[in-house]
Amino acid sequence: QTQAPATAAAPAAAPAVPAQADSGIRSQNIFEVKPDASQDPGYLEQTNGERQRVQPGNNAPMWRQVSGGVTGFSSLPVEQAPEAGNLIQRFVKYPGSHYTNAGEAWRQTRNNLIIPYGAALLFVTLLALTIYYFTRGPIGLHERETGHKIERFTPFERATHWSNAIAFIVLAISGLVMAFGKFFLLPVIGGALFGWVTYALKTIHNFVGPLFVLTTLFMIVTFFRDNLPQKGDMKWVRQGGGLLGGTEPPSHRFNAGEKVVFWGGVLLLGSFVIASGLFLDKLLPGFVYTRGEMQIAHMIHATATLLMIALIMGHIYIGTLGMRGAYTAMREGYVDETWAREHHALWYDDVADGKIPARRSAEARAAAHAPVGSARVEGSPS
Amino acid sequence: MLLTKKAGSASRDGAASPSNSASPFVHSLRRGLSNALPTMDRRAFLRRSGLGVGVGLAAGQLALIRKADAADGRPTAIGAGKVEVRRTVCSHCSVGCASDAVVENGVWVRQEPVFDSPINLGAHCAKGAALREHGHGEYRLRYPMKLVNGKYQRISWDTALDEITAKLKELSKASGPDSIYWIGSSKHSNEQSYLLRKFVSFFGSNNCDHQARICHSTTVAGVANTWGYGAMTNSYNDMRNAKVAMYIGSNAAEAHPVSMLHMLHAKERGCKMIVVDPRFTRTAAKADEYVRIRSGSDIPFLFGILHHIFKNGWEDKKYINDRVFGMDEVRAEVLAKWTPDKVEEACGVKEAQVLKVATWLNENRPGTVVWCMGQTQHSIGNAIVRASCILQLALGNVGTSGGGTNIFRGHDNVQGATDVGPNPDSLPGYYGLTEGSWKHFAASWGVDYEWIKSRYASPAMMSKPGITVSRWIDGVLEKNELIDQDSNLRGVVYWGHAPNSQTRGLEMKRAMDKLDLLVVIDPYPSATAAMAAMPGKAEDLNPNRAVYLLPACTQFETSGSCTASNRSLQWREKVIEPLWESRSDHMIMQQFADRLGFGKELSKNYKMQKVKGMDEPVPDDILREINTNCWAIGYTGQSPERLQAHMRNMAAFDVVTLKAKGSVKDKVNGYDIAGDYFGLPWPCYGTPALKHPGSTNLYDTSKHVMDGGGNFRANFGVERNGKNLLAEDGSHSLGAAITTGYPELDHLLLKRLGWWDELTDDEKKKADGKNWKTDPSGGMIRVFMKNHGCHPFGNAKARATVWNFPDSIPQHREPLYGTRPDLAAKYPTHDDKMAFWRMPTLYKTVQQRNIADKISEKFPYIMTSGRLVEYEGGGEETRSNPWLAELQQQMFIEINPKVAAEKGIRNGERAWVMTPTGARLNVQALVTERVGPDTVFLPFHFSGHWQGADMLAYYPEGAHPIVRGEAINTSTTYGYDSVTMMQETKTTICNVERA
Amino acid sequence: MARMKFICDSERCIECNGCVTACKNENEVPWGVNRRRVVTLNDGVPGERSISVACMHCSDAPCMAVCPVQCFYRTEEGVVLHDKDVCIGCGYCSYACPFGAPQFPSQGTFGARGKMDKCTFCAGGPEANGSQAEFEKYGRNRLAEGKLPACAEMCSTKALLAGDGDVVADIFRTRVVQRGKGAEVWGWGTAYGSRQAGTQTNGGSK
Ligand SMILES: Nc1nc2c(c(=O)[nH]1)N[C@H]1C(S)=C(S)[C@@H](COP(=O)(O)OP(=O)(O)OC[C@H]3O[C@@H](n4cnc5c(=O)[nH]c(N)nc54)[C@H](O)[C@@H]3O)O[C@H]1N2
Ligand SMILES: Nc1nc2c(c(=O)[nH]1)N[C@H]1C(S)=C(S)[C@@H](COP(=O)(O)OP(=O)(O)OC[C@H]3O[C@@H](n4cnc5c(=O)[nH]c(N)nc54)[C@H](O)[C@@H]3O)O[C@H]1N2
Ligand code: HEM
Ligand code: HEM
Ligand code: SF4
Ligand code: SF4
Ligand code: SF4
Ligand code: SF4
Ligand code: SF4
Ligand SMILES: [Mo]
Repeated sequence: QTQAPATAAAPAAAPAVPAQADSGIRSQNIFEVKPDASQDPGYLEQTNGERQRVQPGNNAPMWRQVSGGVTGFSSLPVEQAPEAGNLIQRFVKYPGSHYTNAGEAWRQTRNNLIIPYGAALLFVTLLALTIYYFTRGPIGLHERETGHKIERFTPFERATHWSNAIAFIVLAISGLVMAFGKFFLLPVIGGALFGWVTYALKTIHNFVGPLFVLTTLFMIVTFFRDNLPQKGDMKWVRQGGGLLGGTEPPSHRFNAGEKVVFWGGVLLLGSFVIASGLFLDKLLPGFVYTRGEMQIAHMIHATATLLMIALIMGHIYIGTLGMRGAYTAMREGYVDETWAREHHALWYDDVADGKIPARRSAEARAAAHAPVGSARVEGSPS
Repeated sequence: MLLTKKAGSASRDGAASPSNSASPFVHSLRRGLSNALPTMDRRAFLRRSGLGVGVGLAAGQLALIRKADAADGRPTAIGAGKVEVRRTVCSHCSVGCASDAVVENGVWVRQEPVFDSPINLGAHCAKGAALREHGHGEYRLRYPMKLVNGKYQRISWDTALDEITAKLKELSKASGPDSIYWIGSSKHSNEQSYLLRKFVSFFGSNNCDHQARICHSTTVAGVANTWGYGAMTNSYNDMRNAKVAMYIGSNAAEAHPVSMLHMLHAKERGCKMIVVDPRFTRTAAKADEYVRIRSGSDIPFLFGILHHIFKNGWEDKKYINDRVFGMDEVRAEVLAKWTPDKVEEACGVKEAQVLKVATWLNENRPGTVVWCMGQTQHSIGNAIVRASCILQLALGNVGTSGGGTNIFRGHDNVQGATDVGPNPDSLPGYYGLTEGSWKHFAASWGVDYEWIKSRYASPAMMSKPGITVSRWIDGVLEKNELIDQDSNLRGVVYWGHAPNSQTRGLEMKRAMDKLDLLVVIDPYPSATAAMAAMPGKAEDLNPNRAVYLLPACTQFETSGSCTASNRSLQWREKVIEPLWESRSDHMIMQQFADRLGFGKELSKNYKMQKVKGMDEPVPDDILREINTNCWAIGYTGQSPERLQAHMRNMAAFDVVTLKAKGSVKDKVNGYDIAGDYFGLPWPCYGTPALKHPGSTNLYDTSKHVMDGGGNFRANFGVERNGKNLLAEDGSHSLGAAITTGYPELDHLLLKRLGWWDELTDDEKKKADGKNWKTDPSGGMIRVFMKNHGCHPFGNAKARATVWNFPDSIPQHREPLYGTRPDLAAKYPTHDDKMAFWRMPTLYKTVQQRNIADKISEKFPYIMTSGRLVEYEGGGEETRSNPWLAELQQQMFIEINPKVAAEKGIRNGERAWVMTPTGARLNVQALVTERVGPDTVFLPFHFSGHWQGADMLAYYPEGAHPIVRGEAINTSTTYGYDSVTMMQETKTTICNVERA
Repeated sequence: MARMKFICDSERCIECNGCVTACKNENEVPWGVNRRRVVTLNDGVPGERSISVACMHCSDAPCMAVCPVQCFYRTEEGVVLHDKDVCIGCGYCSYACPFGAPQFPSQGTFGARGKMDKCTFCAGGPEANGSQAEFEKYGRNRLAEGKLPACAEMCSTKALLAGDGDVVADIFRTRVVQRGKGAEVWGWGTAYGSRQAGTQTNGGSK
């Protein structure tokens, strides 16, 4: 049935009389003979124009240009269609791809590397945390709580953290649906609904992304100082934070693990995520946003975000299930003296020494006049 | 999950096909997942997810696919309502591509290719493929408008017609009918252009013209004077038979794209293709040999080839002896004058390449020569085209299949409008303005000769060729004592012509301001409208000026015939009713005529039909009238019935020969097309009853005249200076009873030959005292052709020398504005002419002044112009079509990288183009090796910017094209052909600067 | 099973844009979206060749492989189609497509591109054949009417051929044999994933 229309266009195309190239350009049937001109010196370097002189109709040099990604002429304006003149994206080799045209290479990198290994990474992280949780359980306190509260995060710090955390989670969920939804969600809810959901999530992702940029900047500014390397960090690292056994080494306000989250996660990966995210959102001025650039931005984005998600998964675990008392700190701003002593001994010392006020925020100070607070710590050495 | 093709598709049911597209990882992952779910097609899948198909989120927020809405908002319901298919013909160029319009409830909903058309086999270029946009007509003028205080205001048709008529009467009374200038259109159908010529005659003037003047007038004059008819000799289809084709001054790939269908086919079968052009065009890209010449130097190149041909004895001696007059003179001159060094000096082509081309032309016969505007638009255009004719005559290539001069015409009906339309120097059918012609037409029109005479200012003005469209501005601006009519022009009617297609835009603006009356009748009158509304110099503005815009409808809103370049006539069916308030041109003519008091006379022979409740002359009747008077060019055999039968039975015509394959009776009118050539290419002699098949290849002696055969025309006497002008013995069309040359047919000849009695009594009565061109019975033609196989226009020689032209042997002369004063000294232009088409016309004065002023130092680049495939002509129509406009959004100038480097202009930057007129154009630079370092090229389809400023504010509201740009003709210079007043648009000079 | 393919014969294509406007016309594609476009290489110098390109309906389609919502599907005839109701406008298909076929109605700041649009081989989309909904979203379904793509049908020089791969290849082969010249055809190798003259093999991801 489909053959009929195919031949409908054919009559003009298929010349009735086969070659009797009496007066025509005499050359060989390429299906049988190797053209003589190919023996010419410099044959392979010929331009398409030069090739036409020796072998009219042989456009191999032009096809070489095409596959080389050479951009030709298109009457469409550059502002409207910057890449209209490009026939095949240039050949590249992206990590994990063959040397092939950029689109295909990107597909290979994304589909064969980022997506499966990303999924594996997240899966393994999740598994590890689960196992850890069930084998070790949450890190509790060795001593009893004193009931004396120390202000660990000011309301501003908490607001910053939570807006950042919410943005991140929204981005992560929407991003993950984009990346993996078709494997786990689509089969369950069906194409149409999945399309709606993903469309919504994607749109949210695109708009929350820039928000996340802002909150991340606040995060960096807010937590910068206390994440600077300090004495004891090395020790903490050497002892594995006591997570795998042994006692938890003393740390300042933030332990080395948290610093890794800060420097490696928020600052380093975050920068990559943000830069690539802003690029993918086409928000950076002065770029043409060609497909090649988008591919690179995407690969950076996807890689960095997946790593970041894995890392933050760990962070969230510790912040919630993994450690008793941590979450309340982040939610309410206060920790118990015992918690501080056990988990951030050096910081506790500083607070106790009065080097760091136990109440930093105006709200906390105001609240301190209320009877709730601990008189013991306040202002007085232990 | 398995996605399968749609279920429920009747044509394509079948098993689900597993998607094989995924990477292995994805694939296995998916397989794993889908194990949990039963396989299902997408419909079942969607149903299961609780969402039916079509509850799309997409449709609502898409805004992507606009509905195929009609102009007046009626939506396209697919599958509902009455669906009709109307066959029409592309209105954008002379190739004449047929197209089927699918009309549903009066709305043009789809456009389908006509594979059956032997001309285009369904193919279209960008413009043809975008025809349906005419059914949207979003940017068209919707109702009549009048310029009031610099703004266009809506008025009613009646007010408009009444006011314009009053003004016409007033001007005509005060300054004579010749004070009005009528610019007709090559866009009009044959019937409309013919009616316009009749209309202007009844108005009492010869001051009318149309695009052909600035298009192929030099071809028409030059070629007709060489061998008979000034038209393409063969057809696009016949080019399939060519062994070599030389395109010189034609960029067919952009200007006649579908012609390339045939040429490329020929090329694949071994035809060699040569392109001679100052630019490496898209056509050149397809050529086996590209020759770059300097613009305006075609004669040196052509005669350079001829030099080699004569030197090597490659000319067709028998052919020349039998069928060509004056070749010896040419031969002597060419051998003496156009030696390779002179050729190279004048056109820049090296001897080796000229010889190569000559050799190819010699070795491959038949060969064809194709030309177009590259040859015609010069002050020596008439001579250039003749040089091409001479080359073909020397090679014996004219009058054979695969040979000929394939002159690609311009607009869709420029051929027809030239043949039967508003020409200032002739009546329809190239009948001159002599008393005899007038009487012939008066009789045919059914009006009194004396009455027509009384309409004119004087009998002298009745026989005096009018002003040409290229010079109307001088008709307004020139000193009254210098022009050859009483009054200057005071009113101009632009009836389907753009202003930005004529040169000297700065002066045109002044002329427009000086007018008393400017009427624009056009679906897209906007270029003229904006130019008129734009404030000019205060002192130029005529305070009494009245400007009116009338919405004409396009050719898709009426029916009628149009003549393609190959002289085939095609009938367009009416596709849709006139959009908005527009009216057809012939209806408007009738309505003006009624008000001017000669409505009855105008349509004496026509029935009226109601369109939107108003009377409109029936196009079929107008064609029937043409059939009764245009004998001389064989526009008499193409009755509407025959043409309509051809359109309905296209499949029956052969693609190479254009001849009907066997007998096919039309289902509607029963006409049998057997033996006919498609579209009855003119000349299709005699009455329709004679059943002359039309002439697909002109002057072809290998065929019987009743099979379209012929020979060269006897139009220039029987001898000259003692030399025989008629064909030599033995040279005649196949089966002719007279085997020698013979003069054209008249009653005396017929009587002398003893064939008079073969006429019927009635025919005898009508034919007596007449010649074949004026015999209203067509009987003489019948007897001569059918009974005796002779050609009514005689059998003569073609003329290599045309003694009635300024240069009897074509002479190279440098353009008025050139970059080579050294060559201008050697090849100077003509002397000035007074009273040439009623205008003083300067040649030497301008050229010498330019040389004296060293103008070529200030303006060092040759400026040439031409076409882009997406746009047509002045371009308002095509630039208003979003499908086309998107593809070319910027007016640009092509400059060579060397020039770009010198001027510090980079690709894509803005540049100023300055010409000696003082005009400055702001355009985008396109740096390309397409042009050489001495030449720049600009497309001419833009308007709407004026020396850097956007004219948007001056357009009538809502009727402005989507894409606007600087019009090159704002800046073009003076210069006119010495025979036809063709403007010199292909060669002038300019300078370029970074903006 | 028929496998629908395009071939553009660069020896014939004259960059007339007939195919482009035919597509706009038949499918009412809006300004800014070009399902088909024409590219000229060596523009303005000897050896200049033009090629018309749209979606090649790849056998192993990269667009399909990367689409996060799996909205592509392939018809029996090998036509790669997609579902605009599902499409989220992420642009991935356009990054992946070697030929730049996927188009978007808006510029994409904040990722707002709108629904992807591309050449459908004039085969509509998932809606009922010939329905108004199908037309509005995807344009005309000519295949269902037994017609070939508008662009190829109207190509001014028959450079652009469309139809069953075998038939089209035959037509082309005849031409090439006739010319006795080069066999390189636009997109052929790439679309079939096979070797193309002068180019590297397209690795694919098999
Ligand atoms: N797309 C499109 N098609 C059209 C039209 C249109 O407006 N747009 N218009 C139609 C009309 S009205 C016409 S008349 C035809 C015109 O059709 P063409 O004449 O083929 O088109 P142009 O581009 O005007 O000019 C042809 C070539 O002449 C070259 N040329 C310039 N000067 C010289 C010279 O001195 N000698 C030689 N040998 N060549 C020279 C130019 O570089 C150009 O490439 O096209 C018709 N078809
Ligand atoms: N510099 C430069 N100038 C040139 C040329 C060049 O190559 N270079 N080429 C010259 C040539 S060859 C030509 S033919 C001219 C072409 O130039 P024009 O013929 O002046 O250009 P068009 O825009 O095609 O004008 C046709 C007009 O007719 C209108 N029209 C269409 N259909 C109808 C209809 O049915 N009825 C009425 N009443 N109007 C209708 C259109 O809207 C349009 O306004 O330009 C010439 N000027
Ligand atoms: C840390 C937070 C972020 C995470 C976890 C995240 C995650 C992701 C993921 C997983 C994808 C999908 C990749 C794929 O499918 O291959 C994605 C795509 C994308 N992300 Fe993010 N992202 C984050 C932040 C951002 C930011 C800050 C921006 C912008 C400023 C951004 C903009 C985008 C864009 C534009 C895409 C491309 C897809 C689309 O346009 O819908 N993302 N992101
Ligand atoms: C639901 C999600 C999250 C929870 C439950 C959570 C929980 C916590 C908790 C409990 C703390 C305090 C730890 C302490 O007192 O030492 C904390 C600190 C912090 N969190 Fe989160 N967090 C979440 C998401 C995020 C995200 C998305 C980011 C950044 C991308 C982030 C960055 C930080 C930083 C920078 C700190 C300060 C300590 C440091 O520098 O590591 N958190 N979070
Ligand atoms: S513009 Fe000419 S070549 Fe193009 S479709 Fe119309 S008639 Fe055919
Ligand atoms: S050409 Fe591009 S869009 Fe079309 S199937 Fe191939 S990858 Fe997909
Ligand atoms: S833009 Fe649409 S079709 Fe393209 S990959 Fe994204 S969701 Fe799929
Ligand atoms: S096949 Fe149809 S949709 Fe695709 S480019 Fe051609 S006309 Fe457009
Ligand atoms: S219509 Fe044909 S010749 Fe014209 S650009 Fe398209 S593919 Fe090329
Ligand atoms: Mo023209």
